[in-house]
Amino acid sequence: MTRARIFFTGVGGQGTLTATTLLARTALDAGLPVTSGEIHGMAQRGGVVESTLLVGGYKSAIIAPGEADVILGFELLETLRALPMLRRGGFVVGNSEALQPVGVCLGRECYPPLEAVLETAKGFAAQVVLAPCISLAEQAGTAKAANTVLLGAAAACGALPFSVADLTRSIEKYLKPKLVDVNLKALALGAEAAKAGQAA
Amino acid sequence: MGKELLKTEGGDTLLLLGNEAIVRGTLEGGVRFVTCYPGTPSSEAPDTFFRLSQGAPYYFEYSVNEKVALEVAGGATLAGLPSLCTMKHVGVNVAADPLMTLAYVSAPGGLVLLSADDPGCHSSQNEQDNRIYARLGGLPCFEPATAQECKDMARDAMLLSRKLETPVLLRTTTRVNHVRGPVVTGDLPATPYEKPFVKDPAKYVPLPASARVMHKRLRAILDGLVAEADASPYNVESGAGELGFISSGVSRNYLTDVLEEEGLVGKVRLLELGLTYPLPENRIAAFLSACKKVLIVEELEPVLENEIRALAQTRGISVEILGKSEHLPRLGEFSTANVRQAVRAFVGQPAAVVDALTVPGDLPRRPPNLCAGCPHRAAYYAVREVYGDNAVYSSDIGCYTLGFLPPFRAADFLLCMGSSISTGAGFARASGKPVVAFIGDSTFFHSGITGLIDAVAYKHDVLIVILDNRTTAMTGHQPNPGVDTTIFGENPNPVDLMALIRACGVEPVKVNPLNHKATLAALTELSKQTGPRVLVAEYPCPIHARRVGQAKKTLPARVAGDPAACLTVRDNLACPAFAMVDGQFTINAEQCDGCMFCVQLSPDLKPGKKEAK
Repeated sequence: MTRARIFFTGVGGQGTLTATTLLARTALDAGLPVTSGEIHGMAQRGGVVESTLLVGGYKSAIIAPGEADVILGFELLETLRALPMLRRGGFVVGNSEALQPVGVCLGRECYPPLEAVLETAKGFAAQVVLAPCISLAEQAGTAKAANTVLLGAAAACGALPFSVADLTRSIEKYLKPKLVDVNLKALALGAEAAKAGQAA
Repeated sequence: MGKELLKTEGGDTLLLLGNEAIVRGTLEGGVRFVTCYPGTPSSEAPDTFFRLSQGAPYYFEYSVNEKVALEVAGGATLAGLPSLCTMKHVGVNVAADPLMTLAYVSAPGGLVLLSADDPGCHSSQNEQDNRIYARLGGLPCFEPATAQECKDMARDAMLLSRKLETPVLLRTTTRVNHVRGPVVTGDLPATPYEKPFVKDPAKYVPLPASARVMHKRLRAILDGLVAEADASPYNVESGAGELGFISSGVSRNYLTDVLEEEGLVGKVRLLELGLTYPLPENRIAAFLSACKKVLIVEELEPVLENEIRALAQTRGISVEILGKSEHLPRLGEFSTANVRQAVRAFVGQPAAVVDALTVPGDLPRRPPNLCAGCPHRAAYYAVREVYGDNAVYSSDIGCYTLGFLPPFRAADFLLCMGSSISTGAGFARASGKPVVAFIGDSTFFHSGITGLIDAVAYKHDVLIVILDNRTTAMTGHQPNPGVDTTIFGENPNPVDLMALIRACGVEPVKVNPLNHKATLAALTELSKQTGPRVLVAEYPCPIHARRVGQAKKTLPARVAGDPAACLTVRDNLACPAFAMVDGQFTINAEQCDGCMFCVQLSPDLKPGKKEAK
């Protein structure tokens, strides 16, 4: 049976938990056992949001360092921070765009460059795909669909035990009708970006 | 998750959060009366009951605090209705007074107390282990580990409580409350359960003479329950061999995965406990007798370990018992990583080497921050302008605890819910230093008011700033007794905060903290006075205002003058809408809430249209 540990990381308000739940439903529809974990609470105030999805019969809803088959990073700095969770040969699919934490805005800390993620994961990850999820989501119709762009990219590059078509079905089935079109567009743009990134 | 939780027929597979599963489980157990005080990680349970409450087969309230919640639920079970009371672990301390006598007085209609513990302090001031309360108060205790178990054990806790007429503890931890997994539902009861009240003061009034009898009755119930625990389907044994593991709660998940990945399934013995108080003593004794060596895997306090050691000693069983250690500490949460090391050490394998990337330790942090437009930011800014570091800041529990962080540094100490006024008063009396106590509206109703009465009675020299954002923001915008509006519309019976303070003996001053000039003037005036003083800084939480449809349309602020001249405002407010783009200060129009506080502090900032990106 397909077994996968997927680690999600992002910033409060990015739809990290919505994406996690959508993938969990997709797994259930595929007949796979699934357990998922979320940390709530302070996240609403702009803090880090981490969640997990474990497919294929794991009992634990957490992921320890070196265990994640996939890291889905909804924000660049948080993707970098989460890299220790990755197992050798795992996938990193992330948003290449930044949301500055307060220390960076105040000029007290420096935001790491995009290359930091690529260089750290090089030779360890099987594949690193970074896509401008917020810009692509705006192109699809709303920045709020950046989470769906990322899911599209992850499915298209083979990081998930689901296809883009599986996710299309889930979006049609589980999102509010008025949100379906924009999210399908976002999913497709993410998938395209991942394929272009792989080719490059 | 919505109405499907109220569906009468079972048999559906729903993807539920642990807390939602608890809602379904207690409904299947016949719950008709629900009280709570919200608090992470318990909040989604009461919030779900609240959201579904209109036309639902139960009464629901967000009580004023946990003590009141348990007392109200205690009254309901005495009246014969199956009742549920939910709170976070530290809330049980507030409710401890009624709790310690509740099991004496009994729960004729059934009563389940949900205690959501927080190992690792994800969103709490401590990581106390409330399994100990089960022992102290004499409550049978269930510890679920999965979403399905949350549902099943919540139901069975309620059914057991109804059967024995004694309160039952459902003890969860953060990872269990916030697990999301498939849950197969059962049917809701066809007929509502009720146990009509019959007057019998000797049974329900714990005067010394009757209390002694009640205590004896309680012990008999608990002793009788050992046989039930021995036979419980939640206490499951598997495997074979001389090496044994005993575990409960979320640690069971980690242990199961580790045993599988280490190829130990079937080669070692495993006893998983779900009904953990009273312990299934005969079952455990037999398990111990079959093993040479046993490792007990439990988060936080060595509760099982100590009781199992005592059991082995009492029964004269010769077995090596291991528990708390370097790999299985009393501090924090467990994970598959530390359980793996503990298991390997126990079976004589070398430590596992973790093959993982490292990242620089000095990455920019992302601490939670007060939201854009949060009125607390403005209140803190004004208080610091008047007092700077000359005052000592007594803080309390809510979003405003985030004032701890720079640039406000408006929290010098904190004990618990409602402590800011009383602890601030004690500090002022002992030190003679100026003290400002910050407290939110919900926390003031919860347990701040008693501190105010004390401050008035003893003329404590403390300035109390009530940060009244018209909701309980931190835990998810639950209504409190003072709110004007909920998701169901206007609050018909709001408690008048100003009148309440006045009745305590202080004439409060009310300001809109987003009006900087007025707030500053009020604070300056109050800073010259002595004795207990109250400033009510009232402005609705912007997130709450949006949810209840009361947000005003506003324009975002913009940099109209010299961006370099705005850096002081940037540093003093640390608003999340502020950003540096290519080294230049700007305001992110998407993030800006339009509170227009910053424009009052700099001529270079103005209200304006959205800036072009």
